[in-house]
Amino acid sequence: MLSYVLKRLAQLVVVAFIISVLVFLLVHLLPGDPTSIILGGNDTAANRQILLHQLGLNTPIYHQYWIWLIHALHGNLGQSYLTRETVGHVIASGFPIDVELIIISQVVAFAVAIPVALITARRPNRPLDNIATTGTFGLLALPPFLIAPILVAIFAVGLHWFPATGYVPFSQNPATNLHDMILPGLALTAGSIAVYYRLLRSDLIMTLQEDFITMARSKGLSDRRIMMRQAFRPSTFSLLAVAGVNIGALLAGTFIVEYLFAMPGLGYSIVQAVQQRDYLIVQGIALVVAIAYVVLQFIIDFLFTVVDPRVTRE
Amino acid sequence: MSRRLFLSRGAATGGIILVGAGASAGLAGCSSGSSGPGTTTGSNKGGKAGVSTGTPKRGGTAVIGTTADIDGFFPPTNHWDNNGFLYANTIYDPLTAVAADGSIRPYLAESVTPNSTYTAWTLKLRSGITFHDGSPLTSAVVKANFDALKASALTGIALKPITSVTITDPLTVVYNFADPFVSLPASLATQVGYVVGQAMLDAASKSPMTPPHPIGTGPFIYDNWQPNDHFTATRNPRYWRSGFPHLDSITFRPIPDTTQREATLKTGGVDLILSADPVTVNHFTGQSSYQVVDSLSTTIGEPDVDFIILNCASPPTNDLRVRQALAKATDRAQVVKLFGGGLSEPANGLFPKGSKYYSDTGYPAFDPTGAKTLVSAYKQQHGTPTIELVTVPDSRDIKVTQVLQQMWEAVGFTISVKTIEQAELISNVVTGNFQAYTLEQYAVPDPDINYVWWSTTTVAPPGQISLNFSRNSDPQIETALLSGRRSPDPATRIKAYQTVNERLAQDLPYIWLGQTVWSAVGDTRIQNFANPVLPDGSPGQPFDNGIFFPTQIWMAG
Amino acid sequence: MADERKLHSPGVSSSLGIFPGQTPPLVVATALADPPVDDDILAKRPLGALFWFALVWVAVVASMAIIANWLPLPNPNHQNYTAINASPGIHHILGTDDLGRDLLSRIIFGARVSLVVGFASVAIGMLIGGTLGLISGFKGGRLDVALNAGSFVILAFPAIVAVIAIVAFWGQTLAKITIIIGVGTVPIMFRVVRASSLAFANRDFVIAARTLGATGTRIVFREILPNVMPAAVSFGLITVAGVIVLEGSLAFLGLSVALPTPSWGNLIAEGTANGNLSINPYILMWPALAMFLLLLSINLIGDRLRQRFDVREGLL
Repeated sequence: MLSYVLKRLAQLVVVAFIISVLVFLLVHLLPGDPTSIILGGNDTAANRQILLHQLGLNTPIYHQYWIWLIHALHGNLGQSYLTRETVGHVIASGFPIDVELIIISQVVAFAVAIPVALITARRPNRPLDNIATTGTFGLLALPPFLIAPILVAIFAVGLHWFPATGYVPFSQNPATNLHDMILPGLALTAGSIAVYYRLLRSDLIMTLQEDFITMARSKGLSDRRIMMRQAFRPSTFSLLAVAGVNIGALLAGTFIVEYLFAMPGLGYSIVQAVQQRDYLIVQGIALVVAIAYVVLQFIIDFLFTVVDPRVTRE
Repeated sequence: MSRRLFLSRGAATGGIILVGAGASAGLAGCSSGSSGPGTTTGSNKGGKAGVSTGTPKRGGTAVIGTTADIDGFFPPTNHWDNNGFLYANTIYDPLTAVAADGSIRPYLAESVTPNSTYTAWTLKLRSGITFHDGSPLTSAVVKANFDALKASALTGIALKPITSVTITDPLTVVYNFADPFVSLPASLATQVGYVVGQAMLDAASKSPMTPPHPIGTGPFIYDNWQPNDHFTATRNPRYWRSGFPHLDSITFRPIPDTTQREATLKTGGVDLILSADPVTVNHFTGQSSYQVVDSLSTTIGEPDVDFIILNCASPPTNDLRVRQALAKATDRAQVVKLFGGGLSEPANGLFPKGSKYYSDTGYPAFDPTGAKTLVSAYKQQHGTPTIELVTVPDSRDIKVTQVLQQMWEAVGFTISVKTIEQAELISNVVTGNFQAYTLEQYAVPDPDINYVWWSTTTVAPPGQISLNFSRNSDPQIETALLSGRRSPDPATRIKAYQTVNERLAQDLPYIWLGQTVWSAVGDTRIQNFANPVLPDGSPGQPFDNGIFFPTQIWMAG
Repeated sequence: MADERKLHSPGVSSSLGIFPGQTPPLVVATALADPPVDDDILAKRPLGALFWFALVWVAVVASMAIIANWLPLPNPNHQNYTAINASPGIHHILGTDDLGRDLLSRIIFGARVSLVVGFASVAIGMLIGGTLGLISGFKGGRLDVALNAGSFVILAFPAIVAVIAIVAFWGQTLAKITIIIGVGTVPIMFRVVRASSLAFANRDFVIAARTLGATGTRIVFREILPNVMPAAVSFGLITVAGVIVLEGSLAFLGLSVALPTPSWGNLIAEGTANGNLSINPYILMWPALAMFLLLLSINLIGDRLRQRFDVREGLL
C-alpha cells in the first residue's frame, strides 16, 4: 500500500513537471506576447523593452522557467500580467466552479445512463432499447454550445426556474449556488449520458450471457435481482475507465459553458489567458489540471478495487 | 453571440485599439458628444427611455450587465474600454466632462482656461472635495496623477505635448505646452482626466506589481472586485455633489455573450445591459417593459466606426489602385443593411451626418465596374491581387469578412479570410505584418485626441513599430492635424478635420463600413440612467459608446 | 465459448495508470462449459428494413459529399442578399441562412468537412493509438511503461491550450485540423485498445498459441486483434460523433477550417450565434438532424453486422 502511494506520488511529480515544461514552451512560442495586450496600440520599441524587463520576460526562456519553478516550489505561482490578480486566487475561485460543474454533469449522466442501461440491456433491440439508442445518438449530436442557449430559453427566460447567467460561490450560499449551477451542469451532461449508456448497455449484454448469470437464473433469482446484484458490478469496468478519460477531458475543458454562463472557472480563465498571453495564469491552471488528472486516475483505480475485490493494488 | 470580448478581456487590454471602443493613446473615448439619446422607446409615460422626471428615490441596488471585464482601476497602467469608463465613473470623477450640447464642462475642475496663445492652461479645482480616504483633492494630487500618467508607457504618448505642469496654489495647476494646444479640456474628459487619491499613487509606486486599492472622489466607494464575475461599489455618504448618489450600491456583472446577456435581463438577473450589437436594439425596441437607448444620434465629436484597415506599405495594398478598387467594390449600404440592424448608416469617413465635422468627403461610391477596371490594370503589371482579410474570432466580424470577401472577389480579387487572436492581431498591426484587418475605433470627444493614428510622425516601415498602423504618410493630413491642434478658431478646426477626413478618402488607408451601434437596455425599475446632470447644472451627454454616469440613477419600487 | 464473449469488454482494468504492474488480472476469467446463448442476440436474423434504410442514408450522405461539385447545387458560399433567412421552399429546398446562402448546398458541402474530420481523425487515432495499444498491451515491459506514460501526459495536458497553439502556428486547413484532432484521439484509442490487449495477452488461447510456437506478430494480429476490434470499433463510432461535435466547438472559437467553408459543426455554431436561434432555427436544425441520422445509421449498421457475423466466433 505504501509503495503504491509512493509510486503515485512519484508519478504526480513527473507528470506535473513534464506538463509544466511543455506548457511553458508552447505558450512562450506563440506569436505575440503580453506586452502587445498591455500596451495595445501604444507599443513603441522602448516601451516594450521596459515592460518586458518589468515582467521578467527579457531573459532566456530556460531562465524564466527556472524562476517560475523555484517560486512554484515555494507555493508562489505568480500573478496575472494584466489584472495583477494572483494565480493562486484565480485557481481558488475557478477550481470549485469546474469541480462543481463536473460533479453535477457526471451525477446526472450516471443517474440517467445507469437505470436506462439496466432496463434496456435485459431486452436488447426491443422497442424500449431502440428508443433509448435513438435518444442517445440524438444527445451526441447536440453540442453544449447549442444545448446551453436552448436550456436558458426554456428554463430561465420561459419558466423563470433558474437564472440565465452568473453564480454565487458555494461558501457564500450553498442553496443559491446549486440553483445557479444546474443549467450549466445540464448543458455539459448530454455527451456523457450517451457514452456511458452505450458502454454500460453493451457490457451488461455481454455479462448477462456469462455462466454465473445462468446459474443465478437457474436458482430462480428474479431478473431484477440478477441485474442489480450479479450483473451490474462486473459490467462497470469500461464505464469507469472511460469516465476517467471523460472527466479528465472536462477539467478545464468546460470553457464554452463557463463563457456562456459568465462564470470565471478554470476553463474560461485558461482560454482567455492563452489568448492574452498571460503566461503565468496558463501555467498555473495547467499545473492544477495535471495534478487533478493524476488524482482522478488514483480515484478511478481505487474504484476498480471496490468494483472487483480481485483487482489488487499490488 | 459576440465573442469579441471573450477574446480580449474586454477590449480593455488593447483589443480596445482594434476592435473595442477606441482607446486612443490612453485618451480613450469617454465621450463623443452626443446631442441626446437616439432612438428611444420606453415605459416612462410620455418620456424618453432612460430619463425620469419623477422625484428620485433613495436606496436600492442596481445590477448592470456589461460586455466584458477590465484589467484594473489604475489610469496610468490599465487599458479602459467602455467598461473601464463605467467603473471609473462609479468610483472616480473626471476633471472635465462632455455636455449634451457637445461642449466640454468642468467636473472636478471649477474652470479650465487657456492663455491667449493656448500654450498654457490654468485649471482651478473645486474646493472642499475629499477622497474616499478622507484626504483632500488638491493641486498637488492632480500633479502627482499627471506625473504618473506621463511616466507610463500606456498614457505617456497622449501627454507628450505637455511640457510641464506647475502648481500655483493649493487648488490651481497650470499645464504648459511648447506649441498651442486647444483641446486640453477634451483630453481631461478621458482616461488621463480621472483623478485618484495620493495613497493609491503611493501604493502603486511602492509595489508596482500589486494592484493599488482604488481611492477616488466618486459617488461610490470600491467594495470588491472578482474579475470576470462582478464589481461592487457602495454609496459614498460624503460625496461632494450633495444629493447624489441615489443608490445604496451598484454591481457590474460582465456577461460576454450577447444572447446570454439579453436572457439575463429578461430573467431579472440584471437591471440594465449594454451591447455593441445592433440586434439588441431590435430585440427590445417596442416592448413596454424595457427602456432602450442607443448611441446613434451622436452628432458631435467622433463615434466608433467599423472599418477595414489596409497596409499602405506592403503589396498589394500599397498600390493606390488596389485600395481604390477595394473601396469601389464595397457596397457599404448592403453591409450596413446586413449588420447595422437597420439602424446604422454607411460611413463616408470619420464623422457621421450631423457632426459639425461632417462633409462630403468624396469617398468612392459603390462602383463594381470601376473597381474591375482598376483590378485589371493592376493585374497586367503584377498579376491577380491576393489579399488576406483578417479578423478576430467574433461571429459578427467573421460574417462581415465573408460578405466583403464575396464583394471583393466579384471584381477580380482573390481574398482569403482568416481569424487570429487579439494578441497576435495587435502585434501584427503595430509591426505592419498585415494586409487588411477589421477594426472598430476612434470614439473620442475631440478629433485631436486621435492625432497619433494619422500623423506622419508616427509612421515606421513594416517590421518596425508604427502607431500609424496603416502607414499612410500624407503631409497634407499632418498639416491639417497640426492646424486643428493649434487653432482655437472653430471654423479653422472644422476645416482642418474635414481636410483630414477628405484626405483619408483620397489615400484610402481605411475602407469605411458604418458607425458602431451601442445600446443600453433597462428594465422598468432602473431610472434615469441616460440623464446625467453635470456639476454646473447643464445636462451631460446621455449615453455614449457604452458609457453612462451612475451618479443620477435611482431604482423605482 | 463463454470467455470469448466477455473479452469484448474494453476497459477492464486500472491500466489507465502509468505503471503496468497495476494492471489487475482479467476480470471475469470463467472458463465454464456450456455458454448460455441468448437467442435474441446471436440469432441470425434478417438484417431488416431499418438496416437497409440506414445503409442507404450513409451511402447517400457519403456519395453526395464526394460528388457535391457535380451536383446541380448553388454555390454553398454564394450570398444572395435578396433571399436572406428564406424558409424551405422551391428555390431553396432547406431554406437559406442569414447571409442568404443555400442551406442544402452548405449541408452537403459541409458533410465533406465533417465526414473527413470525423472519420479520418478517428482513423488516425485508431491506426496509431490502436497499433501501439495492441503491441504495448501484449509486450508489456519498458515499451509499455514509456508509451503509457506518454499517453498519460498527453491526456493530462489541457487540450484546448494545445489546439490554440497548434492552430496559431500551423494554420487552419481541413487536413491540418484533421491531423490535430486525430493526434488528440491517439492516447484515448491507445488506452482503450491497450486495456483489451493486455487482458487477452494472458488468455488461454493466446498462451496456447504461444506454446505452439506462434510468433509475436502472428499472435498480435491473428489472435488478439480480432478480439479487440469490436470494442475498439464501437468506441470509435462514438468518438466519431464526439469529433464532429468537437469540430463545431473549435469553429465556435474560430479554431476550425477557414471560413466560408461550411462544416456541420460550424453551421450549428452559426445557427446559435447572432440571435439566429430565434430568427432562423433552420440553420442549426438541418445539420443537427443530418448528424443525428448519420450517427444513428452508422451505429445501427455496426450493431446488425456484429450480430450477423459475430467476429468472435471460431477464433480458437
